[in-house]
Amino acid sequence: MSNIVEARALTKTYGSLKALDGINLTIPTGAISGLIGPNGAGKTTALKALIGLCDVEGELNVAGMDPRAARHKLMEDVCFIADVGILPKWFKVSQLIDYVAGVHPKFDRIKTGEYLSTTDIPANKRIKELSKGMVTQLHLALVMAIDVKLLVLDEPTLGLDIIYRKEFYDRLLNDYYDGDRTIVISTHQVEEIEALLTHLNFINNGEIVLSAMMTDLADIYTEVVVDPEQIAQADALNPIHIRELLGKKSYTFESVPKAQLQPLGEIYTPSVADLFVAKMKDSRHE
Amino acid sequence: MNKFHLLQFHALLQREILEHRNMFIMAPAILAGLILLFSVWAMTRMGQDTVSISIEYMALLFDGLSPLEMAPMFMIPAIPFIGIFYFCAIIYLMNSLYQDRQELSILFWQSMPVSNLNTVLSKLVTIGMVAPLFYIATMFALYVIALFWLAILGWSYDIEVAGLGYMFLAAVVSLIFVYLSIVTTALWLLPTIGWVVLFSAFAKRTPILWAIGVFILVGFLEEFIFGTQFLGNFVQSRSTPTQYLILDFQDVVERLINYDMLFGIMVGSILLAGAVYMRRFID
Repeated sequence: MSNIVEARALTKTYGSLKALDGINLTIPTGAISGLIGPNGAGKTTALKALIGLCDVEGELNVAGMDPRAARHKLMEDVCFIADVGILPKWFKVSQLIDYVAGVHPKFDRIKTGEYLSTTDIPANKRIKELSKGMVTQLHLALVMAIDVKLLVLDEPTLGLDIIYRKEFYDRLLNDYYDGDRTIVISTHQVEEIEALLTHLNFINNGEIVLSAMMTDLADIYTEVVVDPEQIAQADALNPIHIRELLGKKSYTFESVPKAQLQPLGEIYTPSVADLFVAKMKDSRHE
Repeated sequence: MNKFHLLQFHALLQREILEHRNMFIMAPAILAGLILLFSVWAMTRMGQDTVSISIEYMALLFDGLSPLEMAPMFMIPAIPFIGIFYFCAIIYLMNSLYQDRQELSILFWQSMPVSNLNTVLSKLVTIGMVAPLFYIATMFALYVIALFWLAILGWSYDIEVAGLGYMFLAAVVSLIFVYLSIVTTALWLLPTIGWVVLFSAFAKRTPILWAIGVFILVGFLEEFIFGTQFLGNFVQSRSTPTQYLILDFQDVVERLINYDMLFGIMVGSILLAGAVYMRRFID
């Protein structure tokens, strides 16, 4: 499988703040890759770098191009949705569709029409008159009608209610994703996208602290609800995170063989949310 | 440039007009409406004798003149339109690369396969060539209404209004002169336009203050360090209103092909290239 995104040693500083601290990021073609991190972790900076909207140092190749040198050319193969506030508010829905049809060579107006016909969005309304959920539906309708290789979503459902959020991801998975296209999603709401992902990247303080295939997580990470008498042995195996769970202690281990952990207590595969908390706390301690 | 690129550029121009329809369509339409209302009001205050004398005086004024000779006189009613247009143009250029950064819609615009060069060019073509057409069209409608009204008045007061066809031609020629004046002015003022657009692309807030403030600062430094006033003189040499008027087709060639014009276009192009560069990254 080839990689649609290859980034090496990406660095971006704002004054004394390192938004990206030499990150390496590889996203295979056809993956649904999550870029998960807390607020201010560097997610948006990383995604902006991928589409040439941010001047970064390091090697960067997206869909065979360097986004810094050929953003407008790259955007023929890449779509981007940031949070819901970015569509120009003065456009009418029909005018916005006309505009995208005019400037994008891979836009299919009929597909957008079909998608919008399943929503309550009127073509003659201005964007500023639509609800947040409708704006997201509209943006998704535009993006789904563009035949691109890579879709980059930066907190696309921020501020939306649960119904719109669920519908957004359902549409994305059922009507858009075909196994050839690649989707990169950044969010700090881990549970929301966990079931969608094929690849997972955690970012914190401008560094990638975890990068793995979802199918490999169960092999790498293990959560153990440790029996009280096994605490000392568990501590000796360098857990990356310890938390209290119904009066017991739950330990998260990285790359420790399951056979070694089995005698310590009940073992589980941690959820992405638990793993996220574990890695975020772990990376702060490093 | 292939057919798609032309269509894409057309979509960019359409976007500019839609976004600034108040400046480019509503403003001249409202001004024309106000002029018409004022004219009707003024007519109702005049007596029949005054109206008759005015029409006869106008006929006398234009007697024996060709449309080309009449045209400069028809440019006088265009003055308020030109004034409003320049006022709108300054606001437009100031906000051209600033407003979308402010409201974050730049993330949408930049997510489309449109180069920054084409974005900046579309804004220049809009203000220098396309937007004036809406003003010209409005003035044309106003002139047609005025001439129609004149014909009705002449008929109702039983005055022979001769030369209406010539007047119509003169109005059309005058509008062509107005359009050519605006286009050549845009080229003549390209350094100023480039300067304003550069700060529109650069400033995090109040680009007008940046544009004026930095200009004053650079001018002051030039005088302080080198003891010269090149910048001030350069601007002053381009600020006489009569430089901008085209009153004859011969004027167009003279205005366009001369060293000062080419030098200005070169300076303006460098500044605009800077604006394109600033536009590359949005953070």
